[in-house]
Amino acid sequence: MGGFFSSLFSGLFGTREMRILILGLDGAGKTTILYRLQVGEVVTTIPTIGFNVETVTYKNLKFQVWDLGGQTSIRPYWRCYYSNTDAVIYVVDSSDRDRMGISKSELVAMLEEEELKKAILVVFANKQDMDQAMTPTEVANALGLPALKDRKWQIFKTSATKGTGLDEAMEWLVDSLKSRQ
Amino acid sequence: MFAKLKKKIAEEAATAPRSGVRIPRTISKESITSVGADSGDDFASDGSSSRDDLPSQLLRRNDQIRKLEAKLSDYAEQLRIMQKTKDKLEIALERHQDSSIKKLQDQNENHQANKAKMAEGMALALEKKDQEWMEKLGSVEKEKADLSARLEEMMEQSLALFQKRDDLDELEGFQQQELAKVKHMLLRKEELLSQREQELQQKDGEVQSAKRGLSEAWGKLRALEQQHEESCRLNSELEIEREELLLLREEADKKISELEGQCQELQSVIQQVSEDFQKSQSMVSNLEKSLHELQTEHDALKLQQQKAAVTEEDKERLLVDLQKKVSSLERRLEGNLSQDEHLQELLQEKSNVETMLKDTRAELLAVRTNHADTVSSLEAQVSRMSCTITELQTLLRHKEDSSRAYRERTDTQIANLELQVLETTERLKSAEQQIAEKQQHMDKVQGEWNAEKAFLDQQVCLLEQQSQEKASRLEESISSLQTDKQMLLDRVADLDKQMNEANSTLKQRSEEMEDCKAELNSRQTLSTEIAKALEETRRQKEELQMQVGELTRDLQTSQRELSTATEKLALREEDTETLRNEMQSRQALLVQLQEEAERLRAQLKQMELDKDSQLTSLKEELLSQTQQLDSCQARVSYLEVEVETLTEQLHSPEVCEEDQNGSVTVDDLDHVQKVNRELEQQLSDKNRTIKQLQQRLAELKRTLQKELKLKPEPEAEGREKLLESRAEKQEKVCPDPPPASTPSPPTSNTTVTNTSDLNDSREINFEYLKHVVLKFMSSRDAEAYQLIRAVAVLLNFSREEEEMLKQTLEYKMSWFGSKPSPKGTIRPSISGTSTNWS
Repeated sequence: MGGFFSSLFSGLFGTREMRILILGLDGAGKTTILYRLQVGEVVTTIPTIGFNVETVTYKNLKFQVWDLGGQTSIRPYWRCYYSNTDAVIYVVDSSDRDRMGISKSELVAMLEEEELKKAILVVFANKQDMDQAMTPTEVANALGLPALKDRKWQIFKTSATKGTGLDEAMEWLVDSLKSRQ
Repeated sequence: MFAKLKKKIAEEAATAPRSGVRIPRTISKESITSVGADSGDDFASDGSSSRDDLPSQLLRRNDQIRKLEAKLSDYAEQLRIMQKTKDKLEIALERHQDSSIKKLQDQNENHQANKAKMAEGMALALEKKDQEWMEKLGSVEKEKADLSARLEEMMEQSLALFQKRDDLDELEGFQQQELAKVKHMLLRKEELLSQREQELQQKDGEVQSAKRGLSEAWGKLRALEQQHEESCRLNSELEIEREELLLLREEADKKISELEGQCQELQSVIQQVSEDFQKSQSMVSNLEKSLHELQTEHDALKLQQQKAAVTEEDKERLLVDLQKKVSSLERRLEGNLSQDEHLQELLQEKSNVETMLKDTRAELLAVRTNHADTVSSLEAQVSRMSCTITELQTLLRHKEDSSRAYRERTDTQIANLELQVLETTERLKSAEQQIAEKQQHMDKVQGEWNAEKAFLDQQVCLLEQQSQEKASRLEESISSLQTDKQMLLDRVADLDKQMNEANSTLKQRSEEMEDCKAELNSRQTLSTEIAKALEETRRQKEELQMQVGELTRDLQTSQRELSTATEKLALREEDTETLRNEMQSRQALLVQLQEEAERLRAQLKQMELDKDSQLTSLKEELLSQTQQLDSCQARVSYLEVEVETLTEQLHSPEVCEEDQNGSVTVDDLDHVQKVNRELEQQLSDKNRTIKQLQQRLAELKRTLQKELKLKPEPEAEGREKLLESRAEKQEKVCPDPPPASTPSPPTSNTTVTNTSDLNDSREINFEYLKHVVLKFMSSRDAEAYQLIRAVAVLLNFSREEEEMLKQTLEYKMSWFGSKPSPKGTIRPSISGTSTNWS
């Protein structure tokens, strides 16, 4: 019933809840980013077996943000959540050069899905506070982002623990979502 | 009561050993019913009585008793299970032992049978082979004896042939040796001659080299003489230069003396000039003195003039006075008229005085003129004198100037002369130095020349000596060489003689050679014959050798056969030995196995003993528990009896003291409850001991299984470990924590074995499923709607099932619409459970 009311209200006021997925390999910092966006604090996390859903309000836009666990064995279940997704936040551990290839293959597989054809892609080059972190351009090249076509994408350098770069990324996301409507 | 209970327990233990969990209930029911059967009549009759307290109390007691009975029956059952397991284990052990013993016996018998068969077969084969080989050996030995006899004959023949050949070879060798000796002697003499000639040539070369050295020394001497002459020339030149320099020096001395003379003259002139100067100065002084005198005279004259002027003035004054007197007298004459005579006289006097005046005036004038004349003359003289003085002064000045100029000239001349003198002295000095240097150089050159001369003289002497020595040596060597030559010529002559002798001997030898050759020819003929014979013998020998070779081949083949046979024999023996070893090892194994069996038996016995002891202890415990149970039951029965009595009392005296009875019953109840608590505590203690014993039994089972080489159960252990790890992994705080009872899997644990990894992935999947389902059930409808897909994928829902879920959710979310009816095809077994979701 409450859902009906909220949907009714949203229908009345013309604001729909945006559905955003946060994806990425395990240990990339998805959960930390989610709670940084929602609460504005750094929480101690354990590996997510499953998912976390939170409603984040940013500039009068409501986001239903889904943080899906990135463990290898539960990555195949990502595709269960793809329908009706407005944007995908793909989080990459910039300091993990070894698994950049795996990250790329996962990203490519995700972008090939029919249900995500219209989704906006925001890549977070996370953990920029680490010493050996790759630069956003390096990350973009490693993920093969410049080769993407028919896709609105942008890469941002972020640090979830320091809270840097998240605001710019969310602003860009909001602007692009608004312009798309 | 007790007997009945015991019997029933025993019957149930015997009849229903596999009744499971339901047994205690049945026991309790039966016991209750049995108990109730005894008191059931009373209850049935008294159930309608107005007393409600006692029955309720009784009911409570009965319940308690039932509980106790249930616990007791549980214990009994556990005991029975233990006994069963023990029996099973014993049976399994016995079976295993029997089977192992049987197997061992069978193996032993088989082995012995095999061994006996093998030994018999081997012995038969060996005997056959031995006989065959003995026959073969005999034949081969015979052949060998024949061949050896033939070989000996052939060897004798060949020895004779070899001796003859040796003699021939020796003769030829002697001849060749003698010839070689003679040739060698000749060669030696020739070599000696050539050596002597070479030595002579060397000596000639040495003489020539000595001559060359002499000529070189002569050349050196000449060069030295030339040098000497050159040095003499230099010396003479230097002497000439010295003389010239000395002449120059003398000239310089002369010039100096002349210059000194000039200087003296000049000095004398200067002295004269100075004397003149002094004279003129003295003149000047005299003149000045005269001037002074003249000036004084002039001054004096001036004074006289002044005096004259003063006297003139006095006379003028006298005149003036006289004229006054005259005037006065004339006045007096004028005043006295008779006085004409006096006047005349006075006029006479007057005329006289006037004449006198005129005379004085004239005198004055004369004096004045004289004086002026003298003054003017004096002044002229002064002027003249001053003129002369000025002239003298000018003269003096001129003279002084001239003297100064002269002096200057003389000074310059003197300075020039002095400079000239200095220059000349310097020149002299330099010339002297040059002379000294030249003299030194001369000395040095002379010294060097002398040294060189002495050295060259010495060298010349040495060279002469050396040349003389060399000449003497060369002469000596020449003489010695001549002697040598003569000696050599003598030797050559001797050698010629020897040559002649040798030639003669050679001729003799050649004759001998010819004789020998003739002999040789004869011998060769003989030898050819012998050779023919030898060839024949060789042929025979070859044939024989061929035969021998064939025989030897045969022998070798036979030996090989023998060796192969022996090898086979050895192999057989080895086989037998190995078989024996195997036998022994088998026996040893058997013994070991028997020992092991014995050990196992002993262990089994021990185990059995342990088990028996444990069993006995368990039995004892059981007995004690049963005794306790009995006692409890006795107490229960006692209590029941009491209760009955009480009920009877209650019944019999209908009018009783309710309060007393109540108090009594309360006391009894308390007592019973205490007893019950004690019993329960004892029961719990017993339970613990039983659990401990069960654990021990499990451990013993494991050990038994290990010893019986049965596979242990790794899964159970793995599961235990997993459980432990999970229990450890429950400290971290989850952002949306799952219920505390569900443990999170060890996902971060990367160091796990393969099997556990598989388990992990399964665990993760299960965990994921659980989490998603939980979320699905707990989240908002909008979120849940989006989770349908995940749930469907995770639980392998069919499309229809997924659709159904969606419809139900939509129904839940909407206010309208009807509940979607579940389709029968989805869940054929339980069609109604779909209502659980709605």
